[in-house]
Amino acid sequence: MALLRTKAVEGAVEKAVPPGAKTFPGAADCEELTAGLESSNATERRQAARDLMRCPNAGAALVSRLKREQDLAVRAAILTILIRLDDPAATAELADCLRSEDVALRNEAIEALRELAVAGDRSGAVPPVLACLLADPDPDVRIFAVNVMESVSHPDVERWLIEVIENDSQVNVCAASLELLCEIGTEAAVDPLVRVKTRFASNAFIQFAADLALKRIVESDSR
Amino acid sequence: MKRVLIVDDAATVRMYHRGILESGGFAVEEALNGIEALEKALEANYDLLLVDINMPRLDGFGFLKEMRRQEIPQPPAIMVSTEAAARDETAAYRAGANCYLVKPVRPSQLLAHARLMLGEAGR
Repeated sequence: MALLRTKAVEGAVEKAVPPGAKTFPGAADCEELTAGLESSNATERRQAARDLMRCPNAGAALVSRLKREQDLAVRAAILTILIRLDDPAATAELADCLRSEDVALRNEAIEALRELAVAGDRSGAVPPVLACLLADPDPDVRIFAVNVMESVSHPDVERWLIEVIENDSQVNVCAASLELLCEIGTEAAVDPLVRVKTRFASNAFIQFAADLALKRIVESDSR
Repeated sequence: MKRVLIVDDAATVRMYHRGILESGGFAVEEALNGIEALEKALEANYDLLLVDINMPRLDGFGFLKEMRRQEIPQPPAIMVSTEAAARDETAAYRAGANCYLVKPVRPSQLLAHARLMLGEAGR
């Protein structure tokens, strides 16, 4: 039934406006579509998620459903729409999924945030969310934030990574930052890399990754 | 020579683990995520898997579960993750891992566990 209503809404909108025009359903229609996310039928939930693309404030409802959704196709549809919506509130909610105990959901959130960044992040919501996550008390969340940075072309990314290797006490957060500095590090990272080697002098991976980053920086400087 | 498949999306980690395992006399191949690892496991027989948990496309748990679902013979699997939380350790064993190590892994620790999994402890 919800699917039929959803299609009816879509049909009504399509008839009322010329093809190609940007249209938004009314608040009542969006409410109905949001309710469709709770249908017991996965096809109806997926359809509702797709139709919510035209409801600019649907992000929070979509993320709320994503956190509970078990059907892979519905999850994929929700994530696609979240990326297209590029809604700052939804981006912050999506970042909250990094705290989930569901590994698949965590990875999907990382991927979605990366895709948002790659797709242009028109709302500019990703960098401030990441900056906030880097200060999170949970080291795993800080690691995931660094993982997302891989796709963020923001002028402050290297500075954030340097701050991590200079200040973060958790070795794995520093290790994640070193992995990325191996790729994007510049001369500005040289002294901090030397210092992180001293700070974690007995850790073989930190020594390996910092040496690799230093080697790559020297190589790229000599080109 | 025993063959190990390293499954990890982080290039630096793959290089680090490869260096340790090769120094211990293992032949090493790499996969960047669970999907690529599944493809490799269908084509070749490995003696040991070294699997990260958080990876794009298909995570480490999904990879081991999918091996079982597709009835691909699973060699011993060491799961490695940055997460020290017990929740992931339990999930790793449930997914089919034989051993769970927290990154960053010490070279001697990795070699010892790899040999233990292969019944070569003490070498």
